[in-house]
Amino acid sequence: MGNLTTQLGRLLTLALGGLFLAKGSSFAEDAGNLYNTNFDINAGLKYFERQCSRCHGFDAKGNDETGAPDLTSRLARASSEVGLFNIIRTGIPGTAMLPVAADLPDTQVWQLVAYIGSLSTDPANIDLPGSVASGASVFTNKGDCSSCHMVDGQGGRLGPDLSRVGERRSPEELLSDMLNPHTDVAPRWWTMRVTDMDGVVREGLRMNEDSFSLRIMDEELNLWSYPKNQIASFERVEASTMPSYTQTLSDSEIDDLVAYLFSLRKEN
Amino acid sequence: MNKFSLLLCGTFLTLPVQAQEEPFQTVITPAFSPVTWERLVNAESEPENWMMYSGTLDSQRYSRLDQINTDNVTELEMKWSYQIPVIDRAETVPTVVDGVMFITEAPSNLTAVDARTGRVYWRYDHELPEDLRICCGRNNRGVAILGETLFMSTLDAHLVAIDARTGNVLWDVEVADYEAGYSKTAAPLIVKDKVVTGIAGGEFGIRGFIDAYDPVTGELEWRTYAVPGPGEPGNDSWSGDSWKTGGAATWITGSYDPDLNLIYWGTGNPGPDWNGDVRLGDNLYSDSALALNGDTGEIAWHFQFTPHDVHDYDSIQVPILADIEYQGSTRKVMMWANRNAFFYTIDRETGEFLEGEAYATQTWAQGLDPNGRPIPTPGMAPTYEGILVSPPIVGATNWYSPAYSQQTGLFYVTSFDGEQEFFKRDEDYEEGERFTGGGGRYNQPMDAFHSSIRAINPATAEIEWEFPIMPRSSAGITTTAGGIVFTGSADGYFFALDAASGEELWHISLGARVHAAPMTYAIDGQQFVTIASGNVVYTFGLKED
Ligand code: HEC
Ligand code: HEC
Repeated sequence: MGNLTTQLGRLLTLALGGLFLAKGSSFAEDAGNLYNTNFDINAGLKYFERQCSRCHGFDAKGNDETGAPDLTSRLARASSEVGLFNIIRTGIPGTAMLPVAADLPDTQVWQLVAYIGSLSTDPANIDLPGSVASGASVFTNKGDCSSCHMVDGQGGRLGPDLSRVGERRSPEELLSDMLNPHTDVAPRWWTMRVTDMDGVVREGLRMNEDSFSLRIMDEELNLWSYPKNQIASFERVEASTMPSYTQTLSDSEIDDLVAYLFSLRKEN
Repeated sequence: MNKFSLLLCGTFLTLPVQAQEEPFQTVITPAFSPVTWERLVNAESEPENWMMYSGTLDSQRYSRLDQINTDNVTELEMKWSYQIPVIDRAETVPTVVDGVMFITEAPSNLTAVDARTGRVYWRYDHELPEDLRICCGRNNRGVAILGETLFMSTLDAHLVAIDARTGNVLWDVEVADYEAGYSKTAAPLIVKDKVVTGIAGGEFGIRGFIDAYDPVTGELEWRTYAVPGPGEPGNDSWSGDSWKTGGAATWITGSYDPDLNLIYWGTGNPGPDWNGDVRLGDNLYSDSALALNGDTGEIAWHFQFTPHDVHDYDSIQVPILADIEYQGSTRKVMMWANRNAFFYTIDRETGEFLEGEAYATQTWAQGLDPNGRPIPTPGMAPTYEGILVSPPIVGATNWYSPAYSQQTGLFYVTSFDGEQEFFKRDEDYEEGERFTGGGGRYNQPMDAFHSSIRAINPATAEIEWEFPIMPRSSAGITTTAGGIVFTGSADGYFFALDAASGEELWHISLGARVHAAPMTYAIDGQQFVTIASGNVVYTFGLKED
């Protein structure tokens, strides 16, 4: 049986080896799509309906007559946001897929990218092997994920709130989050080790850092704010404080967690 | 640098203060600690913190901090400013708990910053629908806090609970349907183990109410309608079905008396605002003060300032509670300078009217009768052609917080002497559409009018002093044990007056309209005073040597 974990595991090895992620993520050297808020997705949708739907359909599911492919599943010609951007910007030569108007601002092209990206993680289009209910139980019990993560107001504060993580992470990314937590740690979750003038060391998650000050939350959830010129030194640890679950959870438990996490979205 | 012990010398610090037994440990303590109900009840004795919209449950906006005082206020300098990223006018009164400041922002966002530097800990951005129904800008005025949870109103008429340490959403409940014209802008009020909150939408024919929610689950505990339904006392003060669209929004924060276990809350105009023909009667409980049981929300008493209002004279003012000397004895009173231009002193146990006088120019009433009910001037209702009335629609004052000083015993209010032409129109109610039945027009430039900060003696309702401002102000007021009245003006000044005499002590041009009330707090013995102006939150303190 196709175990998502092992299949994706192979993909992930590739991805983390520096090549590419299956989808939804951009190359390391690009800053990623900066226009991917709900507002942008909506703007992309509106533009799509006006300019693209006559070939790709209002549901973006493609149209045999025009030969325009389904854009809601994995794309044949684009494996990254930048790739998708380029297709929309320059078209596909020799096909009915023409470039968008040359004077269309990049912003709007990125909004289209965001909109198409939002389709591919539509849960209705994705069939996952794991069980949501079992995943929920692993999350609070054996996995003890809730000691660090909140879901709908329940849980810890030492990791990101996962109440809506299914909206921002694909199943592949969720898998990677659990197996390889040290890749792509957002700066908010780096650890700062601060040594004050009296030599006292305090460590905490990096809530914010700027030119002259930094703020952390320590393991006891205390908030601390330091002016940089009033501490002896500080050190930045860019690794994750989350353990990897390769050893501690079984493949099927991981599958269940992926299914559960992917189901976490804004209700209604 | 001045130490906190200085503050303890203040004449008015009579209560023992646990938090200040070891005022300033040399050991550095982390920021923020949970806010219990006991802390909120005794908020006055923790003047280093500002733990709710009006500072204390009695809403006096009087701080015991006196490091900044009449002698040294000229030494104030800016310590930091915080720029709100979404441009709109800021009406926020920040909350400070143990060195962390919580700032609400347009449209319905919230940020936690280090109160010493203004630098961010976290932000919460509330997602909003595109088709909001809001009358008067994308505002939010502040949060309430209980335990480690912040409670905030949002423009889509939700109430959200947010973790004070991380900004995570704990729950998000719909208080009312924004598509039917409901919205929320005011800071909620914590009453024991409940989050009490009101609703806006008085220009949309809503039916106002006051709600209480469970702080842990977000479940509605009780709702008290500000417009009584069929069979309830007061429903017969509305002709026909007019109560259904009766308005009486509850869009500013109320007060609470723990001894009497009464919540005090103001209500807004009846709907439609300017056409009273379609809602004959007194229109209870529009333009009223409601006293509600702190556990059940039941109405203990009401006092209607403007029966059958046709001028949009919302009683959306923060009720100030104090025990004052009145005719030879100590009386538990509520003080209220109303949008209708009258100042009232009311017994807050019973709702009995004690004193009342006009404190600003008004032409709509001949005076108050012995029960405090206005005697309307005939012919002052809006007409199709228009008729000139004082005060204008914005009122003699409005939602901007007044203050009371325990040192002077005076009540301070931002007041406006203006006039406006009022019009009446015929309008049918349509859900989610504006429902006002008219409007107004100024016949003179703003600069022709007169505005001032007025100090009123609550025992006599007489004006003790006034400080003129140009042309108008929509700023709130804060007083301190340093003998100061802090406030601002529409032409962009933040300034300090002598609370006893009204003399100007200090001013600074911030360059943009002050549309919020100042607040004050302290960290490690240093007092700060904060005010939002334009889109910026400014914090001042004394120069350090
Ligand atoms: C006139 C019809 C037509 C219109 C209009 C059109 N497309 Fe296409 N599109 C096609 C066809 C046909 C293809 C397949 C080309 C090929 O690979 O043979 C295609 C391919 C694509 C692909 C690549 C899909 C993949 O599998 O990699 C993307 C992405 C895409 N279109 C996006 C858009 C967007 C965004 C718009 C609107 C700005 C748009 N298209 C407008 C006809 C159209
Ligand atoms: C010791 C605390 C801790 C524990 C226990 C923990 N995590 Fe995490 N988790 C973190 C931190 C910190 C991050 C952010 C840094 C990173 O990406 O690794 C994170 C990130 C994540 C993310 C990515 C979230 C995002 O928004 O990008 C997911 C998904 C996740 N964790 C799932 C889990 C699951 C499932 C478990 C239990 C099997 C778990 N975590 C256990 C601390 C923890």
